[in-house]
Amino acid sequence: MKPDLRVSIGGLELANPVGLASGTFGYGSEYEELVDVDALGALYTKAVTLAPRTGNPVPRIVETPSGMLNSIGLANPGVEAFIAGKLPGLRGRRCAVFVNVAGATEEEYLEVLERIEAAAGTGPRAGVDGYEINLSCPNVKHGGLAFGTDAAQIERLTRALRDRTRRPIVVKLTPNVTDIAGIAKAAEAGGADAISCINTLVGMVIDVGKRRPVLAMGSGGLSGPAIRPVGVACCYRASRAVGIPVIGLGGIMSSGDALQYLLAGARAVQVGTGTFVDPRCAMGVLGGIEEWMRAQGVERIQDIPALLEV
Amino acid sequence: MAVTAAGEPLPGQFLTLRVSPFSDPLLRRPFAFSSYRRASVGRGARAGIVYQLRGGATRLLAELAPGSRVDILAPLGNSFPPPAEGETPILAGGGIGLGPLLFLAAALSEAGGPIAPRLVLGVRSASLLPSIPLPPGAVVCTDDGSSGFRGTPVDWIAANAPEGRVRLYGCGPAPMLVALAALAAARGWGASLSAEQWMACGVGACMGCALPRADGSGYLRACSDGPVFEASEIDWAGGR
Repeated sequence: MKPDLRVSIGGLELANPVGLASGTFGYGSEYEELVDVDALGALYTKAVTLAPRTGNPVPRIVETPSGMLNSIGLANPGVEAFIAGKLPGLRGRRCAVFVNVAGATEEEYLEVLERIEAAAGTGPRAGVDGYEINLSCPNVKHGGLAFGTDAAQIERLTRALRDRTRRPIVVKLTPNVTDIAGIAKAAEAGGADAISCINTLVGMVIDVGKRRPVLAMGSGGLSGPAIRPVGVACCYRASRAVGIPVIGLGGIMSSGDALQYLLAGARAVQVGTGTFVDPRCAMGVLGGIEEWMRAQGVERIQDIPALLEV
Repeated sequence: MAVTAAGEPLPGQFLTLRVSPFSDPLLRRPFAFSSYRRASVGRGARAGIVYQLRGGATRLLAELAPGSRVDILAPLGNSFPPPAEGETPILAGGGIGLGPLLFLAAALSEAGGPIAPRLVLGVRSASLLPSIPLPPGAVVCTDDGSSGFRGTPVDWIAANAPEGRVRLYGCGPAPMLVALAALAAARGWGASLSAEQWMACGVGACMGCALPRADGSGYLRACSDGPVFEASEIDWAGGR
């Protein structure tokens, strides 16, 4: 029997649980020749901010043991250029599109979401099916991580966003906190439809010869297999703290990695750095999940967490 | 390496390859094509890269047995523009920056333009000279004078460039590109420089391989806006 791979996020049905993580796939066109995005469950776009951002000084990336640090700085063309240049291309997508929204102030988050809502309209093929709220970028001076570590602020911002859209809202959480369960609860209380975790971990690499950090900004966000156990543990804790779905990410390279997240309590997953290593990584993850479910006799994605024995 | 996939590379374009199926080293490594030969009857296409043993990834690459299969994405990026009419092509390579210039030199020679290309290679010392044949007329420069001209390719070109218009083609470490851009600006020459930068995706999605624009208006991506840029477009010293 073919397993049922569908996943529901705030009433939105995803064809399957595998998505492409924000910041690793642009707005969907860069990998066009290599990846069949529409065969996946969801595309989470590169972050959109109110004004264009050129990004941080370089070097912006450095490889680390089983991972990488990035300090891109939310480089993006800004919401107006997104609406004019990227949204039309997203309207043709058959997979769900979550537009990742970032800002330096609460007002900026709201303004970005309002402008996209107005441009997208309410009909089918809007180009946006939901939003992922980036409350956890470690690479910008204001907003981002500052929002993501304050439960009261998360609840207030999520509620304000909730009042402005009927589309599903996914709040993306940082692992750079002492209690991710409390942060997840705050997002749920504010009306989020799901949370995604984890964003990158703050890290630094120092060039001993030059006696200075390799990245121009000093520190950056650690991603890749190195952070996977942290992500799985965060999903495990967050999914027990809230009733809304948890979307797991952090170091997923294979279906086995994704299944760790699903067993830990995630309802869906995202592949990020894995796409850099192998552009078809997410496709392999999807195929492997289905194969595993078939072999285990598991009928539905949401039945997986109950299989974990602890 | 043998080529099986479609898409013929041009000089300046690059590939990314995965040196191991494990997670360390994790990222694909970019290398410029140093040669390419089309498939013909009974003979597959072949492509070359030049690399230097520097760390774990290149060591793994060197340990691959002949005939090993490697995961490659290519061809990526843009290519060197041809010299304009009347321009003398001078190709300056620093270290493994030699790779794409070997390919360009071969292509220019094959195209049979009126002015033969001149390749100038710089390395720190004779022991670092690559173990591959250089094209006829190539000039070797060493920082320590242990082989050929004592000095950098930029020093040699500044002293030996022909009269008239020149187009510089360059690839190598940042200080060399800074010096080539300055020389070209001072002499009023065109210069097409190929950037070396860490890359994560290689296809324009991650914004990791950014290079600062010379006019301060933001960044260009080495992978998908380049890797070849007109020298005046980029702040070559801005990438540290």
